Amino acid sequence: MILLEPHNVIIQTTLSEKILKPSSVDVQFVDYDGVRFHLSTPERKTVLLLSMHIRCWDELVKYGALNVLKREYGSLLQPQSEPEYNVSLAIDLEQLPASNEDRESFIMSIALFKRNALAAPFEAGFTSQKSLESAGAGTGELMQIHYRDEEAIYIQASHDRVTVIFSTVFRDETDRIYGKVFLQEFVDARRQPSIQNAPQVLYSNRDPPLEIRHLPNLRNTEDTGYVTFLFRDYLHYHIKCSKAYMHSRMRHRVAEFQKVLNRAKTEVATSEKKTVSGRTLVSR
Amino acid sequence: MSNVLRPYLAAVRSTLTAALTLENFSSQVVERHNKPEVEAAGSKEVLLNPLTISRNENERVLIEPSVNSIRLSIKIKQADEIERILCHKFTRFMMQRAESFIVLRRKPVPGYDISFLITNTHSETMLKHKIVDFIIQFMEEVDREISEMKLSLNARARIVAESYLTAFNS
Repeated sequence: MILLEPHNVIIQTTLSEKILKPSSVDVQFVDYDGVRFHLSTPERKTVLLLSMHIRCWDELVKYGALNVLKREYGSLLQPQSEPEYNVSLAIDLEQLPASNEDRESFIMSIALFKRNALAAPFEAGFTSQKSLESAGAGTGELMQIHYRDEEAIYIQASHDRVTVIFSTVFRDETDRIYGKVFLQEFVDARRQPSIQNAPQVLYSNRDPPLEIRHLPNLRNTEDTGYVTFLFRDYLHYHIKCSKAYMHSRMRHRVAEFQKVLNRAKTEVATSEKKTVSGRTLVSR
Repeated sequence: MSNVLRPYLAAVRSTLTAALTLENFSSQVVERHNKPEVEAAGSKEVLLNPLTISRNENERVLIEPSVNSIRLSIKIKQADEIERILCHKFTRFMMQRAESFIVLRRKPVPGYDISFLITNTHSETMLKHKIVDFIIQFMEEVDREISEMKLSLNARARIVAESYLTAFNS
């Protein structure tokens, strides 16, 4: 699996199961970036309540997340969310689309709950770019989404482009170095003719990009990298994978060296020693 | 093996073989103690001249002989940050398993990446030329392993970046 899927697999599988065989359920689970979900059947077996807690909810609402969710889910969206959660959907299993294909796409749209919520500021950025394009100049509002403790996404529209900046923190010295290799490849890979259509990727270490340099409270340290157009989880997932691969490789190599050294040991006769009566001598 | 590496390894091999003439030797300072003199350094007269074999400024081997033990320290080539990290991880990996690598020292000598301590007991229980073989093979393979790991990291990063950016084409 090279590409991470944007939908939540737990939502997808649980919903598919419950549609076939409705039963009471109460599960809590998490997604990337500290997003919490709660799937339950508070009233009837056929009405599922799916609630999501996302730490940057207030910021998302400011950039129009509710409108996007209303457009995607319509009447499913509950006016009052479950306590401790930010937003809730009620799914009535008796009023599902009839055909199998429609049902699949309905489940998929529910599984994309988190993605749709996070999409709002991006959509706002693209619309403001459209309006600025006709004006010919100027820049839109700089939107900040603090989706993790020390990490944030910044989106800014201007008349000819939308800049998306992901800031990410590498906790570990090794991660930082691996991250640098990976990000450099992202910059280089775009030079290939087959992927020229992809958005431009710029990567800067330590110095924040020009667009956000004026912001206060930026952590300006060695371990913070700024990634323009890159999905954080994808990057970190592959860094961890590479580390795991290196470890298993080193383990193998060390075992090989061990064998070489063992060859140096002189053979010690290990035949069983027995007394005349047939008893075995055991050394302690 | 490249032609540049060959004389370097040959020099290490012959120096190490010559230095591996160890005998049982009790401590002159403490009665009934018998410890590796190169580590204890209790009496100066049993230490022999240490010798450094350098391939270049980044790669060298230090051999410190004494009457009953020798210490061999290796500095591994580290061209950039990635090689530094990989080398550090790899040597740490080995040193954590020092018990099973009988001749390995748990900590390297300052200025070096990995150290071996061979005592007279080791040279009695193991074949001398095989110990030398082991160290030479280690030196040969560690460079190759690190550069291979670096290449595979770069290759993976490239594939990851390409497959992510290709997704924008559709």
